[in-house]
Order: sequence, then structure tokens, then C-alpha cells
Amino acid sequence: MDVSGILQEHKDRFRSVQVDKLVPVDFDLGHLASFDINLLDPGKLKASQKTRDAYLKEISRDGAQLMINELFSLPTVVDDDSVYAQLPKPQTTLPREKPLPKEKAETRWEKFAKIKGIQTRKHSRMVFDEESGEYKPRFGYKSAKNEEMNQWAIPVPDNADPYEDQYAKLRTEKKERVAKNDRRRQRNAEEAMATERGMKPHEMRKSQLQRALVMSKGSTASLGKFDTKLTGEPKIKGVKRKFDPLVGSADKEKSKNMDILNRVNKGEAKASLLNVRKAQRALGTNKQVQAEMNTKGKKQTKRSRK
Amino acid sequence: MLLQPKAKNARSKRFLTNRAPKVVENAKTAIFVRGSTTSQVILDTLKDLYALKKPEAINFTKKNEMHPFDDETGIEFFARKNDSSLFAVGMHSKKRPHNLILGRTFNFQIMDMIELGVERCTPMREFRTQACAIGMKPLMVFNGEAFGTDPQLVRLKSILLDFFRGEDADMVSLKGLEYVITVTAGPAGANGETGLVFFRAYTTQLKKSGVRQPRVELEEMGPALDLRVRRVRQPAEDMWKQACKVPKELKQVKVKNISRDGLGDKYGRIHLGKQDINKIQTRKVKALKKKLDDRPAKKQKTAAE
Repeated sequence: MDVSGILQEHKDRFRSVQVDKLVPVDFDLGHLASFDINLLDPGKLKASQKTRDAYLKEISRDGAQLMINELFSLPTVVDDDSVYAQLPKPQTTLPREKPLPKEKAETRWEKFAKIKGIQTRKHSRMVFDEESGEYKPRFGYKSAKNEEMNQWAIPVPDNADPYEDQYAKLRTEKKERVAKNDRRRQRNAEEAMATERGMKPHEMRKSQLQRALVMSKGSTASLGKFDTKLTGEPKIKGVKRKFDPLVGSADKEKSKNMDILNRVNKGEAKASLLNVRKAQRALGTNKQVQAEMNTKGKKQTKRSRK
Repeated sequence: MLLQPKAKNARSKRFLTNRAPKVVENAKTAIFVRGSTTSQVILDTLKDLYALKKPEAINFTKKNEMHPFDDETGIEFFARKNDSSLFAVGMHSKKRPHNLILGRTFNFQIMDMIELGVERCTPMREFRTQACAIGMKPLMVFNGEAFGTDPQLVRLKSILLDFFRGEDADMVSLKGLEYVITVTAGPAGANGETGLVFFRAYTTQLKKSGVRQPRVELEEMGPALDLRVRRVRQPAEDMWKQACKVPKELKQVKVKNISRDGLGDKYGRIHLGKQDINKIQTRKVKALKKKLDDRPAKKQKTAAE
């Protein structure tokens, strides 16, 4: 039996989805985009608005048809009465809007766990407490351990001093634990900061300590002149100003000046031209000085009126 | 340098973490800014582009003194304030009539931008077709060889694609393919200068075709823009490089030694180390067994007891 006639008849009832292109069209289905490099008709594009718009619509339809053909032949997923096409990964690289997130510095525990191969596993938040026969949080507020302090009586352990206040003991123990944890947190933060700056943690601490020492030394009335010297006290070095020689190579001087001029001319971002922090400091001190001057002035005028 | 604000409560912390750099980023938001002088054409253009870009868009209704090509600080300030990385600035002057600047920022600094003269704008309201729903992902069609060869148009293509792609999606509803944006490069000028660029938006109608793929019919939705490329700021190389970095978490891990043939059968290749023949376990033969004297001392001891 020949069915080609019937098939042809069925086909003729609908308009075709076929689009012929000389050069195959590039698709980036991850971005729902297509790039067609086929030659366009320059005559029609330069013609009157009406013919141009009609031509644009025609090629747009062809482009859209090709892309929809492509999208409809992708693998699909049916979900909530709607059919979804699974898109491939985008090919065109488009830039991010912000830089990559910085990696968090590892804490001492994380480093140790990595070496030992200790893996964290999920614990349930609530734990069954046999004493009370209830589920209680594993830690923190209302946990079994925290409730110990609120009991109406605490048994005195064997060999313990009977006059010792068990409540106070628990309280101090808890405080110590919290303080210890806080110290560790601080140490981790310090070490993370040091590694971020490319220093060793103990080096950074040393330099900070030295700076603090110098500051405290200079804070006496005599600016530390009559203080007893400490062993191994760092020598205070002032900043040595460096000047270019009066007579030198003209090229160097020229290039230096041209560099400044170019930067100003180009209108480089103000932030890079100006050391904002320094400027703020200068501005702040100026304001302070001005404020002092103002108050002094006012006082003086008052006095003069008297 | 500005100091990083510190969150004082959970709500503001959530807000700040949403703005901080992420592995999978939020959809890029665009700001639409009017320059100090504007024309009706440029206002219509901005309004319609805003309508297409919604909901990831912020419209500025007041005039601002903005000249991104001369002074970047203003637009960078707005970008930072609104956490947006795309911008469209519209202005009108005698020197550059109906001027539209499209661009993007990286880390709140202008990366690249392109200045376009709007030669003709037929706004959405002049088309009688119903506009598509808000927040739909468009199909983007770029016609013309120049989009691959002309560096100015390559930039325009990249910016437009970034502008309208919306949120990254790995699935798309086949019912939701509601509109198409086509950008066509017109014929280049006599001296090889970039020709007009035609920006058109159409709504799609999917009709029965007797096969799986539907027949597509288009209806113009607007805006219809004829654009002339003016100034272009290409991105600084190192900034572009930084912006195109792919986070480690999203990089595809190369699957080694596993392949599939045309029929979908899976093949695995296993590499074994060199076999040590001396230690291999073969058939046990009594004659090859070690003699009693060679046995470990411990066993002898027990025997003595």
C-alpha cells in the first residue's frame, strides 16, 4: 500500500517548520541565543522602512524557528503539567559581576581534622535525655548540660570538699570554657589575617607588640626619655626622607613629570590619584584644629567683653 | 578605601551576604539613568528597554548629570548603591543626538560600554500586540557576519546578551518561549565603518505543524530601534580576565578512562599496577611449602610447652 500520498496530504495541511540556510547557524542554547552568519540582503536593509521591517521580520522568524526546532529536540522533563527542556551548558563566556569569593582561612581545628581525616557528620539537634525522659537540645539553651546548674540539688562527689559550692564551681567551669573558646576564635582570626597579609602569625604578633611598646614608651611626659630601657627593646627608627639628586639625568625627570601629567590628563579615577585614607586623616586633623581655634576664639571674645 | 559595613542584626547580615561575592551569582540588575538633557526618542527607548529588562531593573526617573565616557564616578556610585552591574544611560545633545549608552561594571567599576545613536525608535505603545509577561527569558537571535568580525559589534553582542539573558537556567519551559529579540547588523559603510544595527522584539506564536516542532509565527512587540554605533570602551584585559574566571566549584571535573560508544554502551579502562610474580598466590603444593625449621619462633615455643 502506498501511503506517501496520505502523508503528503497531511503535511500540506500545515505550514513547514523547515528553514533552509546556506551556512548552518550557531546555537548557544544555554543562553537561548543563536548566531547566524549567513549573508543578508543589503538592498532590502537599505530600502524603505516598510520593506526593511518586513525583511527583518522574515529573517527573525526563520532564526526563531530554527532555535525553537533545536529547543524542542532537547531532552525534556515533565513537571507540574508543564514540559521543560533541559538546556546544555552555555558556551559564550559572559563576565561575572563581582570577583570570585575569597576562600575562608582554615581554623586550627579544620587543619588538624584534614590531616587526621576526620569528617564532620550530621547530628540531630535534639537528643533524648534519659533523666528527664524528654528530648532536649544537644547544646546551648535548655540543653541537658546547661540545665545542670538550675537543679535544686547537686550531689557532692566523693573526695570533694563538702563545703565547696557546687553551683559556683559549675558556673566558673562554664565561664572558663566560654573564655577558652573565645581565645581560640581570636587566635584563629589573627592567624587568618596574618596569612592573608602573607606573614607568619608569630611575626605579625611580634611586630604588633613592638609597635604597642613603642607607642606606650612615648606616652610619658618626657616621651620616654627617662624610662628604663628594656632588654631587647626595639630601636625606634624614623622615616628617612629620600630626595632625588639636584643634578641627574634629564630623561628620568622628564618621564617622571610626564607620568604625573598623563595621569591627571587622562582623568584617572579619583580614588587611585588620591590616597583617600591619608586625605581623610588630614581633613580630620584640620577640622579638629579649626574646631579648637573656633572655641579659643569664642572664649577670648567672651573674656574681652568682660 | 571605603570601610566594609558590618551587620548589626540578622536581617542586615542576610542583606549583606546577598550582596557579597558568590559562587553562583544573582541575576544581573540594570539601572536606567537619564542624562541631564533628554529627548522623547531616548525616553521612549529607555522606558521600553526597562520594560523588557524587568524585574531585574531599576528605573531612575530624575535627571542626572552623567557622562560615563568622560567621568566614570557617577555611574559607578549608582552601581554600588543599587548593587547593579548593568547600566543604560540616555541623553540628547547637539553633538550626539539621541544617545544611548549601554555598559556593564565589574566589581562596581566600569568594564566596558558602548555608545549608540538611536536613529529611529518605534516604542512598544505603537504596536497593538499584547506585550509578553514580565520576567520571561527571551530568545536572542543575532543576524549578520559582522557580529563575529567587527570588534565593536562583538562588544555590542556580548553586552546585549548579558543585558537580556536574565537568570541562569538549566531548564526552560517550552510554553514559556514567549518572545524573541533579534539584532541584525546592517550593511557596513563604504569605508568599512560599522553599519546600522537593527534591534527588534517580537512575540512568538507556536502553531501546530504536524511534527514535534511547532511552526513559529512572529508579531512585532517593540521596541524597534535602529542604532548607530558611536564610541566603544573595550574592557581592560586583566579586568576581563578576572571577570571571566570560573569558580572551582563550577568547573566540570574531567571524567577519566570512561567512554561511551555510538550505541550508548559504557566502557571503562582500568589501570593495574605491575604484578609481582614472586608474591602471587598459585596452587598450593605440599612440596613447595616451607620446612618446619623456617617457621616463626613463636610457634616452636608453643610446641615446646
